[in-house]
Amino acid sequence: MTARRVDPKGLPCGRGWTGRVLLGAAVLLSAGTPVRLSAQDSQFGVRGLGTPGRFETARARSTGGAFGPFDALSPLTEASLGDLQQLAATAMGGTSYRQADVAGGTASLRATRFPVMGLAGPVFGRLVLSGGFTTYLDRTWDVTRRDSLLLRGTMRPYVDELSSDGGVTDLRFAAALRVSARFALGAAVHVLSGSTRETAGRTFDDTTYHAIRQNDETRYDGLGISGSLLVDPLPALRLSLFARSDNRLRARLGDVVTAETNLPNTFGAGLRWAPSPSVRLAGTVGRRTWADAGAGAFNTVSWSAGLEVDAGFAPFRVGARGGQLPFGAGPTAPTEVGFAAGTGRAFARGRALVDVGLEHLRRTGAGLSERVWTFLLGFSVRP
Amino acid sequence: MRVRRVAWLATVLAGCVDQTTAPGVCPTFCPSGQIDVVDTVLAASIARDSTFRGYVLPHQAGAMTASDVPGVVDSRAILRTSALVSGLALNTGDTTTSPLVGADSMKLTLTITRRDTTAHNLTVRLYRLPITIDSTTTFADLRGAFADPTDSLRAVNVDALLAKPGGVDSATGDQAAIDTTSKFLKVTVKLDSLQAPYVSGDSGKLGIGVRIGADAPTSVGFCTRENACGASLAWFVKVDSIKGTDTTLIHKQLAAVTLFDSYVFDPPIPPVDSTLAVGGAPSARSIMRITLPRAIRDSSQIIRGTLLLVPAVPARGAPVDSFVVEAHTVASDFGAKSPLVLDATRTDTTMIRVGKTDTVRVEVTNLLQFWVADSTRPEVLMLRSQEEAARPTEIRFYPSAAAPYRPALRITYARRFPFGVP
Repeated sequence: MTARRVDPKGLPCGRGWTGRVLLGAAVLLSAGTPVRLSAQDSQFGVRGLGTPGRFETARARSTGGAFGPFDALSPLTEASLGDLQQLAATAMGGTSYRQADVAGGTASLRATRFPVMGLAGPVFGRLVLSGGFTTYLDRTWDVTRRDSLLLRGTMRPYVDELSSDGGVTDLRFAAALRVSARFALGAAVHVLSGSTRETAGRTFDDTTYHAIRQNDETRYDGLGISGSLLVDPLPALRLSLFARSDNRLRARLGDVVTAETNLPNTFGAGLRWAPSPSVRLAGTVGRRTWADAGAGAFNTVSWSAGLEVDAGFAPFRVGARGGQLPFGAGPTAPTEVGFAAGTGRAFARGRALVDVGLEHLRRTGAGLSERVWTFLLGFSVRP
Repeated sequence: MRVRRVAWLATVLAGCVDQTTAPGVCPTFCPSGQIDVVDTVLAASIARDSTFRGYVLPHQAGAMTASDVPGVVDSRAILRTSALVSGLALNTGDTTTSPLVGADSMKLTLTITRRDTTAHNLTVRLYRLPITIDSTTTFADLRGAFADPTDSLRAVNVDALLAKPGGVDSATGDQAAIDTTSKFLKVTVKLDSLQAPYVSGDSGKLGIGVRIGADAPTSVGFCTRENACGASLAWFVKVDSIKGTDTTLIHKQLAAVTLFDSYVFDPPIPPVDSTLAVGGAPSARSIMRITLPRAIRDSSQIIRGTLLLVPAVPARGAPVDSFVVEAHTVASDFGAKSPLVLDATRTDTTMIRVGKTDTVRVEVTNLLQFWVADSTRPEVLMLRSQEEAARPTEIRFYPSAAAPYRPALRITYARRFPFGVP
């Protein structure tokens, strides 16, 4: 009987053809330019800057995001990178099925996104460096509208279609240092970059009026910094504090700046308790000052709570989250609640990890409600 | 197992196809920018307009018009047939030919491309004309030849002929049939040796005039050789066999075509004046220079453009002589000799109704979009008849110099969408 190496998380390690395939896939996903690097979008984001992304891997998101500040590969905080002892790469994909109820009608929407990709590893002793992409704002939507217009003395019915495809990506360069067994800190620079292909079209019922079709590409840029620390006041208790400040999002058409929007500051804290080696509980709360973005934007507070149990063959994760969305039509911010569950499996003697999860969200705001089911799939490799 | 794999793959692929289109509730859940459509009349954007005549002459047209509209227009088709060979080789290998000595009969087939089906008892009359007719021949020159209807070679009631079984009159040998593909009406008239004599001095050439009549004023279009469907002839000739003392006459069939076809009409087209003329024969074209405002040309999308033209005089002729006017742009502005851009997608048309004085509207959206898409193109518009010189009918519009009735451009356009604004 061959002995199997086991990593600190209890996942079997190994090397084989399966592992090499998974490693190759993950490296390709990490190294390539993301085709569609976006989070799951929302109709609430159409009017505002977009739908903010979640800085969480599939593993953290399966716990409602509660383990985000403690997951080394989740780009929410940097200090957790200090726990990383070897090179690791991660990528995540998700397919959402969304139902939007608005003005008495229902629209069924579907989107596949790859919101997180990253690479991290120790370089000098206890210093860990990381780089990767995350969705900062998703600006993918397509709305149609039927109306009519008085032209040449006659009402002319038409259908408008306005769409945007793309978003703003957060390119993060992070460093973390485990100062002592009980204390780690980290910092990061965030380069916000991205573009949206926007189209505006109108088709008249009367074909004497030719269809209108205009399109352009809007580019975005911005900058941010963040810092975080991890403190273990007790052996089973870990506290995470994190903060982030982004300056402004500049939109350009060609060389012309068309808009400058202030971006929020973020403050948050998380607490993880491990009553036993195989059971972990966590909770996170965060606040983002989105109201700086202008009219129709609100400051948001979000919370999450989750549980992770290493149940032998595969871990079991479950969590709930709630909070507010930054953009909405009414006098108050739309709200969001949801739950998630998931599991994972190690391959190639623990060098490749596959995490799967299922998330359900319900968003409610003035005049609109959304129900979202998202299937999450994450790859992590540790060559 | 294989079915399960295919189902799994299909499910995965279906999940990868985004469906992002949702009904928008505006302005609450729509982007802040909206499509802004403007409709405006550019009254002074057309200038430096003028008319030129002589692009296509009647004998170069794709059709020739014969009409009988008393007090308005009288038009007759004229044609000259090709010469026959002077002799025929009767047998294979003959080194000598036998001379033509006469004709038994001749069948003339005319193709009618359009006719007024509301005018009944359409009658085609054939007249003998001198073989000297050419492109300079006028209506007045042939007034004598057409003077008396009783002088006609033959008269055929086309409607009566069509009503006969198979469209054939077995007594006269005439025939009429409608081509199922082109819908053209082919009328074949048989002439005997007296009506169509073989004159050896003329090598068998004949000059023939065609005049029409009906129970009501009418007009007919005949196809011409320029359109590859001109009149055709089948001669039944007599050939002297010339074998020693044997002078037996042998009967042979010979085909002939028209070498010249045209039409003459009265009254003649008045000369070009300050108005903008389109149509007529020889054909007239009107050129217009348009100046689009830069804001529209550079940063707007034109969704409809209409050229408004006020007739100075109504088009004259039979109602069936209504014609199509085309608006073209030009490759370069050389005035009268500006080469047209002959592209169906860059051509706009309108129908000109005879006798009407309503404002004529030509949808020129295609042309305006063409100019907006390529700023190097001259913003020049040329109006011409779709079938140039095929009929004498023409329309005349007020020019830009006549301020109250000047040509104008009505444009509906969309301003640039405010992209890049959240």
